Amino acid sequence: MSAPNSNQRKACWGARDELWKCLDDNQDNASSCEQFQKEYEASCPAQWVKHFTKRRDFLKYKEKMQTEGFEPADGPKESQS
Amino acid sequence: MGYYKITCMLYESMTTCKELCHCSLKRLHLNQGQDNYRAKSYGVIRLNDHQGQQPPEPLPVHPAIIQKARFAGGSMLCLKRRMLGLVGFIGGDLHAMSGRLLRCTLRSSAVQQTSGSTHHPQRVWLSSQAPLCGHHTPKHRTGLYGPFTHPKQTLGSSRGPLFTQRVALSQGPNTSTAKIRLRTRLVVTLLFGGGLLGTWWYVRNEKQQNHRLQRIEQLKKVALGQGDFSLLDHRGHRRTKRDFLGSWVILYFGFTHCPDICPDELDKISAVVSALDKDQSLPVVQPLFVTVDPERDNVAALERYVKDFHPRLIGLTGTPEEVKVAGKDYRVYASPGPKDEDGDYIVDHTILIYLVNPDGLFLDYYNRMKDDVQIAESIRNHMKSYVKLPE
Repeated sequence: MSAPNSNQRKACWGARDELWKCLDDNQDNASSCEQFQKEYEASCPAQWVKHFTKRRDFLKYKEKMQTEGFEPADGPKESQS
Repeated sequence: MGYYKITCMLYESMTTCKELCHCSLKRLHLNQGQDNYRAKSYGVIRLNDHQGQQPPEPLPVHPAIIQKARFAGGSMLCLKRRMLGLVGFIGGDLHAMSGRLLRCTLRSSAVQQTSGSTHHPQRVWLSSQAPLCGHHTPKHRTGLYGPFTHPKQTLGSSRGPLFTQRVALSQGPNTSTAKIRLRTRLVVTLLFGGGLLGTWWYVRNEKQQNHRLQRIEQLKKVALGQGDFSLLDHRGHRRTKRDFLGSWVILYFGFTHCPDICPDELDKISAVVSALDKDQSLPVVQPLFVTVDPERDNVAALERYVKDFHPRLIGLTGTPEEVKVAGKDYRVYASPGPKDEDGDYIVDHTILIYLVNPDGLFLDYYNRMKDDVQIAESIRNHMKSYVKLPE
């Protein structure tokens, strides 16, 4: 299995962008974007699908941090003894 | 008293008070030996101001005062004292300061007189008469004299020969010395300022040079890219680091199965190289792509990959050991991820673009935040300030 060439890469990225646009429009409701999902999985290697899914999760999380703020985690608890 | 003061203030002389007028008058009177002088001395006079325009209305002023003021104004002798006089005047200490000033003024005017014409017997007499007016000083108010202009036009038609002469004499030395003084001061100031600027600029350059050398020392200590690598290029030719010495190198570590980052960065590098190529004055930059995934990225794979980017881009691969050595050289982190059912995996790796100078020294790095314009600019600056290391 060889690496995707430039055209294949662009096709994969296009499908990914379509899917993400659909998800944004539908508030991440995966059921309404099933068609895009299928197309996306067909265009991209499996590893890339996993990679981009993780990337989307991270971007959403980052956006949440920036808009809603966050609570810093507690530091290490001091030991009792 | 107020009348004279106002009049003379308009002509930039704060000097006159009645007593002073009389003092000057007395001198002239004694000079001339003419009683009729007094009658004529208070005639109407027109004076030009500095722009050569007439003042709005004719103002009666004693011509002796004009003379005196100009003489005094033209002399550097009593500048300090005149300043003191001004200060004194402002400070309200009229008696002491003004007395000094008046004496000084009279003396200087006497000097002016003497330096001028040579055939006035009165001149010697004048200087001897200087203290005469000093007696009046307690009541006088004096201040800073300013130079006048063109008394010639301003004096009344009937004047004594002494006056005309004084006028003629007073024109030359006063205005020209004033001009010379101003010019000298300007020149001196400019020279001084220029000297300061020059010194500052020189010091700044020295500092910058020191900084540059310091940074080079630091990079040498870090010693990235000091080792030698030996890899195969995408055409199957063996290449070592030595082959690239003498040219600028843009280096990127990646792998062909990279989902998005490597293609993005390689596109960016291509844009940078194209931009730098446009500038004929800059040396040529060699882009290199070294794989961190030697198991999958063989020569053929690399060849397929690099042709999508800049034509000069060279892909480099080799055995896992060779690749590891090259990676270690630049402290590149690379970690293959878990394999999926296809055997596909993604390699987590350092995504920096490295700049290497013709001496093989690592100079700079660029991350994802820098766009191609910024990188090109930075490389241009490095090239311009590149100093060849002495062997």
